[in-house]
Amino acid sequence: MSSGTESSDSAVKTERPAQTTDFRSGNEMASLAASHINFHVMGYYPITPSTEVAEYLDEMWANGEHGVKMVPGDGEHGAAGICYGASTAGGRVFNATSANGLLYSLEQLPVQSGTRYPMVLNLVCRSVSGPLDIRGDHSDLISTLDMGWIVLCAKDPQATYDMTILAVKIGEAEGVRLPVIVADDGFFTSHQKRKISYFSDAKTVQDFVGEFEVINSSVDPTQPITIGPYMNDPDQINNKKQLSMAMKLSETVIPKVFAEYEKISGRAYKPLETYKMEDAETAVFILNSAADTCMDVVDKLRERGKKVGAIYPTVIRPFPADELRSVCKNVKALLVADRADSYGAHGGRMSHEVKAALKDDPDNRTLVISRIYGLGGKDFFSEDAETMYDLTFEAVEKGKVEVPYDYIGASPGDPDWKPAPGVPVLTKADQSPGILNVFKDEKTGKVEVKGVKQRDLTAMPHRITAGHGACPGCGIFPSIGTFLKGIEGFVVMLWHTGCGMVVTTGYPNTSFAITYIHNLFQNGAATMSGVVEMYKERQRRGEIAQDEEITFVMVTGDGGLDIGLGPALGAAFRNHNMIILEYDNQGYMNTGNQMSFTTPLGHATSTSNVGTVGRGKTFNHKDSAQLFSATHIPYVFTGSETNYKDLIRKAAKAQWYARNEGLVFGKLFSDCPLNWRHADGNGQEVIQAGIDCDFFPLYEVENGITTLNYDPSAKGKKVPVTDWLKLTGKTKHLLKPENKDLVDQFQTEVDRRFARIRAMSENPIL
Amino acid sequence: MSNLPVNNDLGFYEIRMESVGGFGANLAGKILGEAGILGMGFNGSNFSSYGSEKKGSPVKAFVRFCDPDVEVRVNSPVIEPHMLVIFVESMVGAPGILQGVSEDTTVIINTSLSPDEARDMMKLQCGRLVTIDAMKIAVEEKTRVNTALLGAVAATSGFIDPGSIKDYIRKNLGKKYAFLIEPNLKTFDRGFSEFSEKKFADDGKYPSQTIERGDQKTGYLNQAMGGVISAPGNSINKDLTVSRSGWVPVLLREKCTHCGECDITCPDYCFIWEKGTDKKGKEVQLLDRIVYQHCKGCLRCVEICKFDALVERVEYETDPEIIKLGYSSEVPEDKAAAK
Repeated sequence: MSSGTESSDSAVKTERPAQTTDFRSGNEMASLAASHINFHVMGYYPITPSTEVAEYLDEMWANGEHGVKMVPGDGEHGAAGICYGASTAGGRVFNATSANGLLYSLEQLPVQSGTRYPMVLNLVCRSVSGPLDIRGDHSDLISTLDMGWIVLCAKDPQATYDMTILAVKIGEAEGVRLPVIVADDGFFTSHQKRKISYFSDAKTVQDFVGEFEVINSSVDPTQPITIGPYMNDPDQINNKKQLSMAMKLSETVIPKVFAEYEKISGRAYKPLETYKMEDAETAVFILNSAADTCMDVVDKLRERGKKVGAIYPTVIRPFPADELRSVCKNVKALLVADRADSYGAHGGRMSHEVKAALKDDPDNRTLVISRIYGLGGKDFFSEDAETMYDLTFEAVEKGKVEVPYDYIGASPGDPDWKPAPGVPVLTKADQSPGILNVFKDEKTGKVEVKGVKQRDLTAMPHRITAGHGACPGCGIFPSIGTFLKGIEGFVVMLWHTGCGMVVTTGYPNTSFAITYIHNLFQNGAATMSGVVEMYKERQRRGEIAQDEEITFVMVTGDGGLDIGLGPALGAAFRNHNMIILEYDNQGYMNTGNQMSFTTPLGHATSTSNVGTVGRGKTFNHKDSAQLFSATHIPYVFTGSETNYKDLIRKAAKAQWYARNEGLVFGKLFSDCPLNWRHADGNGQEVIQAGIDCDFFPLYEVENGITTLNYDPSAKGKKVPVTDWLKLTGKTKHLLKPENKDLVDQFQTEVDRRFARIRAMSENPIL
Repeated sequence: MSNLPVNNDLGFYEIRMESVGGFGANLAGKILGEAGILGMGFNGSNFSSYGSEKKGSPVKAFVRFCDPDVEVRVNSPVIEPHMLVIFVESMVGAPGILQGVSEDTTVIINTSLSPDEARDMMKLQCGRLVTIDAMKIAVEEKTRVNTALLGAVAATSGFIDPGSIKDYIRKNLGKKYAFLIEPNLKTFDRGFSEFSEKKFADDGKYPSQTIERGDQKTGYLNQAMGGVISAPGNSINKDLTVSRSGWVPVLLREKCTHCGECDITCPDYCFIWEKGTDKKGKEVQLLDRIVYQHCKGCLRCVEICKFDALVERVEYETDPEIIKLGYSSEVPEDKAAAK
């Protein structure tokens, strides 16, 4: 991973195990802890800002530094399923996720806890969409509180390391046997480097957590068991009572495990941490990184003679209610700051838990104020913390809380402000230059396109405007832009989450001159189906003119078509009048170049690293065009900007088929100079080489009949795959002699797949 | 006594780097942080502010140093830097770049200008201004501007040990990029010595460029319901000039055949076409110009043009008039010879 430098061993005098001082971020520490624990399996799916945890672990794995088997999910739901299965099979399991990734996998959380299989989930807290926000808040964390998991909070990178280790021992404790979340703050902690210590020898950690005790193994045929029976009343309530008892038991286990850890690490933790609370008259209760800021402000206010303190829990499930009641005995006013709102509940989630805990102490007179702060990653400055303490002073002075619930840090905005005006609205006539002639040849039964002249087509207005923030040389915009040259008339687009979406719609700006919708990338195709059917239904009811026509285009990256494959296939089975376009740049580029299922064999990404052991991706690329072909939709095609006339022709046909027959799927071979690692201007050369080596065949399937549109061999242009692989940084290692077997394997697969397409093209029945 | 020359009320010496993805500010912050904290024994922190991973988008890197006994509890970005490092000269006009600069701030900027010229270009209110032509050094050494700027940081900080930074340049480039170590150390050394500086008092020449907190234009009273944007295509107003890293394509109109291939390959939709007539009087599309406001200098168009009508040029050597007009009227050599 990083350049990590061993500096000093601090343990000589105390006879504790040796530790190394270093300068690391929260994500680095989570992955380091996981490697020290040496979990058996990590099931994961990349999502910002937790992504790096899997990246660092993969990088360490590639260099033989640990034995954690890394299994990439098809989405967070799938990743959670991998983790569940792995945990039933009798080993230690780890996962890392954030925000909507967590919510997508949420239904798996009670399955894990209800059947009592421990594991550790590093939740790198981030704002839940929508609109999409990738920064840190706790709107994901609050969704986990009722799932039957123990929840530990880590306010800084050191705590992330420690809590990950502690989580193993707590969750696996006899009688507890519950999964554990370790929550730290996205970006604030996950991406901030601090001076930290870790055990110099992973064995120290492994001795501390001990051997994994296998209970209820799914892979012991000598003891057959049924895991997860069908359990209604009257039994389910008793399963939950047991879970509740386990949670209760953990309240005594946690302090013991913390104390044991202090002995070897020198670092003490308590379920409810307090700062200068001994004589505090008012305080702020706050989670994670923002507690640091409050402590700075406590020091500052105490210099001015104010008796203030700060409270921050390291355990919120089970909620440290006894400790809180004890700490708050003499507190006159307490502000509970939530980095997430419970809309309509008149207060943030933590404020309710605090109020509920204090209510159980009949003598408690603490005034409780609820404030929501820092949503969507809004920075929390010491001035904000001071505002919180001022509110506690005001409450004490007035003897009551005048505004029990409100936001801190939201901006009213300038009433005179108007967003920058956009481009003139594109009329139907503007978007219908009438250059292409599309018709069905009644004799052949095929749809034909005449008039594909790129010079004339420069008259087609850009539905996506300039000013987007993609990297220099990005292949997405030539791919989609060229496709749109072939589409006449009104267009409504839906884009999945991904690079293309993020760089075009940063509020308050948009690069879409036409109507655009975003939905998260599990669900774009389903969402577009709903749009199409509502449009048609409203036409049927006469609410929208019968003769109005819109072409509906849903755009996804190859990543969105991994996690969103199910709904996309569902849309295909239903055969809606719409187009699904996949721009395939062979990786999750928006989150930093993790492998996707379309990443080819041996290609290096941030989760298929090259090292002493790692040789890039370990399995072959997904063939999404053939997957959709198997759904028997009217039209499937592949295309590329390098063969632009072919692509524009296919776009016009796609529009014809979407209008007249149903769903169209198109796959575009799209460049990413940043993560493929080649010069910004070379995209077309690289793409063309990928086509000329037969890796990416250009073909179309019309009502089941395949036509190969470009056969490099027939044109005398066929090259070996190495002619393509030598052009990008992500594949250069494959040219080394030691990887020849891998390249041979790849060449064989490419040739086999191309031969199939050629055979289909030659035989209509195929 | 602190080993830091100056620090704020929490005990920190604070550094902010303003850059664009691809220039190496994130790595520079990491190297600087490791050099100070692991190499020199300070306590501190380092982080960057960025969204998703994009080249060409603005990025800030922050480094804080304090004495070893000071606890690091601050997570917010650096607002009032003791040292501000500006990686890309053309960023200066953007709001917030000079946030928090005072007379005590050392401002290091990558520019070929002198401190006096740079002050006027930046409209800098005050501060100790250090200018360094890091781009020239990086081009000459085939490196990036980040290590040159780190040289200037070490030289002007008064407390950062250049030897320690060099150690962490070596460690970060490691085995993977071992061939880059020597050129980067040379780049660092040149940065350490090839700078100019001048102190400017707050003489009233230029106002402060600090934006008050809470000055946000968009808010809950004026944001459209659900966050919709009802100004189609308004990103067209953006200026993406900072995304370029030194090169631009130039359109030689005399050579252009208006074939339309550049329009296919341009990711940034920079080519403007007008209706016109050809020699036979037929109505045709004619390529008029490049909009440089949107051009990120990827040079895809230069690669695709079969007629040498689009050529690669070094931006600072290019006539500003060409950038303004969007094309060059120069007569290419072969045509000139034919006349």
